[in-house]
Amino acid sequence: MTHSVLTPDTHASRSASRRHLLQSLQSVDTIESPQQQPTAVQHDPNAALISATGMYKSYRKGRLIIPVLKGVDFAIQPGEFVAIVGQSGSGKSTLLHLLGTLDEPDAGEIHFEGNRIDNLPSKAKDVLRNKYFGMIFQFYHLLPELSTLENVLMPSMIGQGVLRYWWNRRDHAQRATELLDMVGLGHRLTHKPKELSGGEMQRAAIARALISGPQMLLADEPTGNLDRQSGTEVMRMLRSLNREQNLTIIMVTHDSTIAGMADRTVRLVEGLVERVG
Amino acid sequence: MFKLILSWRYLRTRYIALASIISVTLGVATLIVVNSVMAGFSQEMHRRLHGILSDLIFESVSLGGLPDAQWHKDEIGKALGDDLVGITATVQVPAMLSFQVRGQWITRQVNLIGIDQETYADVGDFAQYLLHPENRRALSFLLRENGYDERLPESGWEQRRLRIEYQRAFQDQLRQVETSRQAALGGPLPSEELAAMLPPSDPYGSIPADPYSTTHGQHQKVEQFDEAKEQFTGVILGLMIASVRHRDPDGEVRDYFLCRPGDDVNLTFPTSPPSGHAPSAQSARFTVVDLYESKMSEYDSTFAFVPIEELQRLRGMIDPETGVTSVTSLLIRLRPGTNLAEARDRLMDRFPADQYAYRIQTWRDMQGPLLAAVQMETTILNILLFLIIAVAGFGILATFFMIVVEKTRDVGVLKALGAPSSGVMSIFLSYGFSLGTVGSGVGMVLGLLFVHYINEIAAGLEWLTGREVFDPTVYYFQEIPTEIEPLMVVFVLIGATAIAVLASVLPALRAARLHPVEALRYE
Ligand SMILES: Nc1ncnc2c1ncn2[C@@H]1O[C@H](COP(=O)(O)OP(=O)(O)OP(=O)(O)O)[C@@H](O)[C@H]1O
Ligand SMILES: [Mg+2]
Repeated sequence: MTHSVLTPDTHASRSASRRHLLQSLQSVDTIESPQQQPTAVQHDPNAALISATGMYKSYRKGRLIIPVLKGVDFAIQPGEFVAIVGQSGSGKSTLLHLLGTLDEPDAGEIHFEGNRIDNLPSKAKDVLRNKYFGMIFQFYHLLPELSTLENVLMPSMIGQGVLRYWWNRRDHAQRATELLDMVGLGHRLTHKPKELSGGEMQRAAIARALISGPQMLLADEPTGNLDRQSGTEVMRMLRSLNREQNLTIIMVTHDSTIAGMADRTVRLVEGLVERVG
Repeated sequence: MFKLILSWRYLRTRYIALASIISVTLGVATLIVVNSVMAGFSQEMHRRLHGILSDLIFESVSLGGLPDAQWHKDEIGKALGDDLVGITATVQVPAMLSFQVRGQWITRQVNLIGIDQETYADVGDFAQYLLHPENRRALSFLLRENGYDERLPESGWEQRRLRIEYQRAFQDQLRQVETSRQAALGGPLPSEELAAMLPPSDPYGSIPADPYSTTHGQHQKVEQFDEAKEQFTGVILGLMIASVRHRDPDGEVRDYFLCRPGDDVNLTFPTSPPSGHAPSAQSARFTVVDLYESKMSEYDSTFAFVPIEELQRLRGMIDPETGVTSVTSLLIRLRPGTNLAEARDRLMDRFPADQYAYRIQTWRDMQGPLLAAVQMETTILNILLFLIIAVAGFGILATFFMIVVEKTRDVGVLKALGAPSSGVMSIFLSYGFSLGTVGSGVGMVLGLLFVHYINEIAAGLEWLTGREVFDPTVYYFQEIPTEIEPLMVVFVLIGATAIAVLASVLPALRAARLHPVEALRYE
C-alpha cells in the first residue's frame, strides 16, 4: 500500500509536457468553432485544477425538457479530495460525466489546468480521458472478456498503437502488476471479472484508473455497490492515493460517512451547488 | 492494440457469430466446387475439341469444293511460313449411312469425311481416338484380323468370316426350305417373311442379313466378290453411330453395338456435278474397319471417315483430263504458341472474302457457341452463388447487431477510457474481417477437399440415394472432370471476406456512434 507508483517528480514533469500538449489540442478547436474561442485565461500556478463556470445541462424527453444542472459553479484545487453529494436524481452523475468530457454542457465552461476542455474536438477529449483522467464507476465496468491484468492494461492499449504497445509491453505489464499488487490483487492477475468479488472488482477498476498516471480521479459512487468493509477499504485506498501521491479525487456519493472521509463536500441541490464545508 | 485483443476475445467467446458465417463457408465451398467442375468440363471440352479439330479450318462453302488442292496448300504455306506445321486436305459431305440389323434397315445421318491417311494425323489427335491399337499407331483403312477394343470381341476378319459362313449356311437352309415349300405348296414363299421368323437365339443376331440375297441380279455380283476374303473400301464410324449406349440392370454402362468392324454398310452422298448440272445421289458400299470414340457425343454420333481418294473418285472431284483434284476443306496445324486469330487473319488477307468463297476459322470460332454457352452458365452460377453469400451477409449483419447491443456498456467503458470512435468501429470491422476470413478459409478447405474427392463423393451419394449423380451416358465422361484455378479461388475468398466486412460496417458504425453516457447507463 505504501509502495509509491506515482513519484512526485515524474508527476511534475509529466504535467509540464501535458500542458503543452493540451494547448496544442486547444488550438485545433479554434478551426472548428471560431465563435467559441476560449476567453484568455490568466494562468495562475495556484489556480484550480479543474473548474466549472455557469454550467447548464438539461435532458430532453420528447417535448419535455428536464433541467438537471442550472448554473453550477465550482473549482477544485490540485491535490484536493472532494465529495459531491446530493439527493438521488440531483444530477451528480451528470456533473461528473460533464467534468470527464463524456458529455457536453448546454452552457457554461469547464477548464482543466487553465484550458477550456468542454469544447475540444472529440479526438482531444479521447486523449484527455485516456491520459489525464481516471474514472471509477459504481458498477466497476470491467470488460468481462479480459483478465484482471488485461483490464488494467486497457487504457495503455487504447493510448498506444500496436507496435509501440508491443515494444513496451513488458514495462506496461510490470506497471500494471505493481498497481494490482498495490490494490492487493497481485494473486488475481489472470482471473476474469466474473471470478472476483465486488470489492476486488472495484480495486481492479482503481488500478485501471491509475495505469496511465492521471492527474485526477473521477469516481461515481465507488462504494455504492459494496458492503461496509470493502467500501471502507476502497475509501482508505483513495485516501492514501490522495495523501501520498497528491492525486486529485472527485467522488460522487450519497453516503454521508463516506463523504465525511473527503477533504471537502460539494452538495448539489436543485441543480445548484450549495457549499457546506 | 485494444482493437485486436478485443476482437480476438469476442471471436473466442461468441460462437454464435461463427454459426452465422457457416453460410459463408458453405457459399465459398459451393462456389469453389461449381467453378472447379465447370472449369474442368470446359477444359476437358476444349482439350477434346481441339484434339479433334485442327487449329485452323479452311473451308469452301460450295459442294464442289476448292479446285486444285495443291495450289491452295502452297499458297497457305507461303502465307503462314514457319508457323505451319501440318496441313491436310479433306472432303466433307453430308451423307446417309444405312445398314441392316436382323433384317431391319437402319439409317443414320452422318458427316462423311474423306481423309488423307498419310497427313490427317498431322493436324489433330484423330488417330488416338480409334479403337484398334494398330490404327492408333498407323492409320489404315484395311480391316484388321481382330484385337479391337475389349467391348468388341467379335470384330475384324475373324468375325467377318464367321458371319459370311453363317449367312451362307442360312441362305442354303432358306433355299432348302423354300424349295421344299415350293414343292409342297406349289408356290414360292417370300423370303423376307422367313427372315422375320428367324429365332432370336441367333448367335450373330447383330449381323445384317445379306441385302443382296433378295435381288437376283446382284446375287451374281456377290459371287464374284468373295466377302469372306475381301473387303469393300474401309470406313471408320463414330462410336455412337454404330452403338446404343444403355445401362444394364446392375447399373453398368454398356454400349450395345449395332454394327462392328467387319460389317458392311451403305453410304449415300451427293455428287459434285460439273457446272450446269444438279447434284445427284451416289451410293457405295463400305466395310467398317474401325470405330472412332472421341467421347464428344456431337462428333461420335455424326462422323464417318473414308479415304479421300475414294470419295473424290465417287463424287467426281477428279478432273478427268488434268487429274487435278478438288477438296472441300484444308485443315491446318500451327506451331504451338502461334496466335490463332492472327494466323487466321493472315490467311483472310491472302484469300479475301470478296474474291474467294472460303470460310477460314479457328477451332475456337467453330466451337464459339458451345464454349460461350459454358462460359455463360459459369457466370450465372457465380452470380447466384454470390447472392447466397450476400444472404449470408445479412445473417452476419443481424448477429453483429445483436453483439453490438450486448456490448453497449463495454463500448461506453472503452469510450470513457479514451478509445476513439474509429477504434471502437475497427473492433467490429476486424471482428467481421476475422469471421469472413475464417469462414471463407474453412470454406476453401472444404471446397478443395470436395473437389479432390468429388468422384468418391458422387459414388457415396449414389450408394446412399440409389440415384444417379453423374451419368456417364449423358456426358460421355467416365469421371467428373475438375480443374482448380488458383485465381478463381483467390477471387472467391476476397469476395466472401468483403461481404462479411461489409455486413459488419453498419453494426460497427452503430457502436462507434454510441453516446458514452448512454452506453454506460445501459443495463
Ligand atoms: N438520458 C436522459 N434522458 C432524460 N433524463 C435523464 C437522462 N439522464 C439522466 N436524466 C435525468 O437527469 C437527472 C439527474 O440524473 P443523474 O444520473 O445525474 O442523477 P444522480 O444524482 O446521479 O442520481 P443517483 O444518485 O441516483 O445516481 C435525473 O432526474 C434523471 O432522470
Ligand atoms: Mg448517479
